[in-house]
Amino acid sequence: MTFLSYLIQGISLGSIYAIIALGYTMVYGIAKMLNFAHGDVIMVGGYMCFFATSGLRDRFADGSVAQAVIPNLAGLLLAMFVCTLLGITIERLAYKPLRQAPSLAVLITAIGVSYFLQNGAQVLWSSNPKICSSIIGKGVLSLGQLSISHVILLTVVVCVVIMLALTWFTGNTRMGKAMRACSEDKAAAQLMGINVNATISMTFAIGSALAAIAGVLFTSAYPTLQPTTGALPGIKAFTAAVFGGIGSIPGAMLGGILLGVIETFAKGYISTQVSDAIVFAVLIVILLVKPAGLLGKQVAEKV
Amino acid sequence: MLLKVEDINVYYGAIHAIKGVSFEVEEGEIVTLIGANGAGKSTTLKTISGLLRSKTGSITFEDKDISAVQPHKLVAHGLAHVPEGRRVFLQMTVEENLEMGAYVKSAGVEEGLAKVYELFPRLRERRRQIAGTLSGGEQQMLAMGRALMSSPKLMMLDEPSMGLAPILVDQIFEIIQSLHKAGTTILLVEQNAQMALSVADRGYVLETGKVVKSADAQALLNDAAVKAAYLGG
Repeated sequence: MTFLSYLIQGISLGSIYAIIALGYTMVYGIAKMLNFAHGDVIMVGGYMCFFATSGLRDRFADGSVAQAVIPNLAGLLLAMFVCTLLGITIERLAYKPLRQAPSLAVLITAIGVSYFLQNGAQVLWSSNPKICSSIIGKGVLSLGQLSISHVILLTVVVCVVIMLALTWFTGNTRMGKAMRACSEDKAAAQLMGINVNATISMTFAIGSALAAIAGVLFTSAYPTLQPTTGALPGIKAFTAAVFGGIGSIPGAMLGGILLGVIETFAKGYISTQVSDAIVFAVLIVILLVKPAGLLGKQVAEKV
Repeated sequence: MLLKVEDINVYYGAIHAIKGVSFEVEEGEIVTLIGANGAGKSTTLKTISGLLRSKTGSITFEDKDISAVQPHKLVAHGLAHVPEGRRVFLQMTVEENLEMGAYVKSAGVEEGLAKVYELFPRLRERRRQIAGTLSGGEQQMLAMGRALMSSPKLMMLDEPSMGLAPILVDQIFEIIQSLHKAGTTILLVEQNAQMALSVADRGYVLETGKVVKSADAQALLNDAAVKAAYLGG
């Protein structure tokens, strides 16, 4: 039973990593840059949800259905709205002027934006931790001896729905196909009439909305929220994206979930203190064997 | 006049790649730019489609100055550019590539596909295949078909014969001629000057970023200097 409950917990944590990793991988696929501020957008999403839910909860009668639903829904929507705007703004102000710059300059800028968001959060909301409530309450589903919290169920379901939706979007819609075309060859995409700048903005918007969802789910499962909350999950999700094959949507999903499971097993069976070191050791070994990641694409060009 | 290029100067950093090039293309013509590797042929096409910018002069298409128009807006004006090296989307299917060619069109995609498949039956057979799995010749057909999807008034072809077996080169040039017969004006850039001049109405010879000669294609084919430099004696 312990094994099974670790596994379920790992899949749930991994689902959050996967949702974050999808944002990393989409932005990388199209803008060919690592947006290290992506993790901190999660934190902003967490704060938005916290403020909306804690501000609205007292306005409804205790225990009413409205009290259970409206503040949480408002929290999620506010988080998605603010993060989407934030993502587009970051791209516009920090990354767009560097479109022709060397990738190292963009990378350093991204790290700068990350610290800017963390410090900004500290100034605005102080570094005292806030304790978030779960978006879906504290309910538990019992299956014999096994008990699964509603947060875990919600997280896994949301992750699967997002991945299916993104796969459908990139495979079947005009905008989604244009995104794939831009990720392959920006100049050729322009010659088709695709507005590359608008497509990049769109990608940041989608990635940041996903980060908001991840932020809400993350603070539901791990309620302590502070300005640095997004940093470590951000780094881990980035690793998950590389692990699965950066640029690949199913890769991000697979990488995220495996990472979460490995981490939870390492915590449960070996040691909580060194679990992160174990996770990264496993990743290094796998990347030595498969440098492009598990589902990384290596298309041979024919002449 | 369909396309008029006047005194363009293009730089790659400090390198002066195009030095005051002017030429024009009339509606219904096939015009070719020939010249050695590095003469500035591709750079000229990229400047027309807005991927590079000229410091001087003007580029007018159907009497509109397009020299400051963003590249993604030119397709809607009726200008299609088949870039050097084909640049098809290798990870997308053949049909998705063609759909991207019609990105700016709100209607008529089905008719466009039917037309392209009629011209290139090979592409119909392979329409569900990933473009990266096509042969070089098929990729060239796909790149041309993709450009056709926007029903262009002017199609600019950059080195369509590059890297292809001789039999495929013949086939590609037959297709160019049939596109032309169907009413598309063509600006053709080629290192294979013999082939290019044999299908073109007029030609311009580029040398190190300058137009050094322009004449009817037939005259250029018979020109002693052109023969010596570009037609293998």
